Amino acid sequence: MSGLQSILNYCNGLQIDRRKVVGIQYTRNEIPRVSQTPTRNPWKFTLDMPNRYRYNEARSLMEQLDNLDRITPQVITFSNLPQLSWIFRYQGAMTVTQRNAITVTSFVGNQLVLGNLPVVPNTRVLFEPNDLIQIGNNYYPFTSTTQILRGTSGTVTVTTNRPNIITASVVGNGITVGNSCSFTMFCPNMPTYKLIPGGYQKTNGVLVGNALIEFSDAFELYEFVGTA
Amino acid sequence: MENIPAVANNKPLVNNAEFVKLTIYNEYGNTANNNVYTFSSSYQSETIDGVTYGPLGGLLAVGVQQRDIRVTSADTSISISGIDGNNMAVVLGTLIRGSKLEITRGFYDNNYVLTSNAHRFTGIVTNYNISEERQDQDDNFTITLNASSFKSVLENRIAGRKTNSESWKEYNPTDTSMDRVPSLADRAFSFGVEPRQGPTTQSQAATDASQVAQDTNTNTFVDRY
Repeated sequence: MSGLQSILNYCNGLQIDRRKVVGIQYTRNEIPRVSQTPTRNPWKFTLDMPNRYRYNEARSLMEQLDNLDRITPQVITFSNLPQLSWIFRYQGAMTVTQRNAITVTSFVGNQLVLGNLPVVPNTRVLFEPNDLIQIGNNYYPFTSTTQILRGTSGTVTVTTNRPNIITASVVGNGITVGNSCSFTMFCPNMPTYKLIPGGYQKTNGVLVGNALIEFSDAFELYEFVGTA
Repeated sequence: MENIPAVANNKPLVNNAEFVKLTIYNEYGNTANNNVYTFSSSYQSETIDGVTYGPLGGLLAVGVQQRDIRVTSADTSISISGIDGNNMAVVLGTLIRGSKLEITRGFYDNNYVLTSNAHRFTGIVTNYNISEERQDQDDNFTITLNASSFKSVLENRIAGRKTNSESWKEYNPTDTSMDRVPSLADRAFSFGVEPRQGPTTQSQAATDASQVAQDTNTNTFVDRY
């Protein structure tokens, strides 16, 4: 078992928070006035864990979580288990080969321009809203905010959910889409755990005590955007 | 009047970031010898008026900046992360008091491209504060820089020259106009009286003073008004 990936694999529920930093005022006549700060808009996942782990089976996991503590990021993915891979499943109509051939022409602000597009009918859907796109070997996944059709041009422009936070040049990089993308997350609130005695385990023919593990809180994962 | 298109015409959404430039002067009287530090709340590096503002400076908060039609004496503050050792070194290891603090607000379009900016504050750092906030196992450091506007600084400025020899000779070493001031200082002087021989040294002044006291005690000091 590997730290945060294990928590994701076996969590009860996943809450996603991608909200931006904004200020909203309502005028006297109830017209909203909105101010937004263009942050890096990190992904935030809240994972609820059941009391399912037996202590003797989870000691390795506990050690990893304690070592990660609240500061160390770890890469997690939704592609490793069938019960997760549907969450960010690619919704477009390109084949794997066609997706792998695509390269980035430019990425300024939230306008991602892609080239080397497949030769398919103009109305073929390349990306649906919420499709994940990750660029080259960079950490940060983006989503397409709108449906992108192939069209007739040599390139398509994808409006992403957040601006380009990659400082290195991304021109010519390939892309990864859907649940093949990965997230680099850390857990600023890393919950503590409590051992609830119960049950036994047999070790070398001897019955010894065991316990279930209860976490003090949900795991609030925060995307690590401190580097670029 | 300054025109800010990004907020004109009742825009329902304003996408903006703050950019802070701190210029620390390393040498008195030599403004060219300086170090510039920049902080921003933007997601990426931006260049405004030839200065690049990086996103990793650790800007936590920008205080209120008073805006008036009249020139007013307003103070503000910025808070930066003290976890970054570089920021701590900037505060503790440089001549930060008296450095110049400039705050600019940048405006973005819907595609997160910086389109315009407006200058908000120019002042001088008057104080800094480093605070540690420890709560259970959470331990954080925050550096707060307080800055006053130029008007506040000018209000507190001490101007002019002092009427003593040292101050006078600062501008003209050969000027002897104030050389006699020490001997005249605190001396009772009756205007309109026939001049008499006065002291030229402090010891003589002391002698004269004791003579005056003696005259007073013996009622020989005549009222000359």
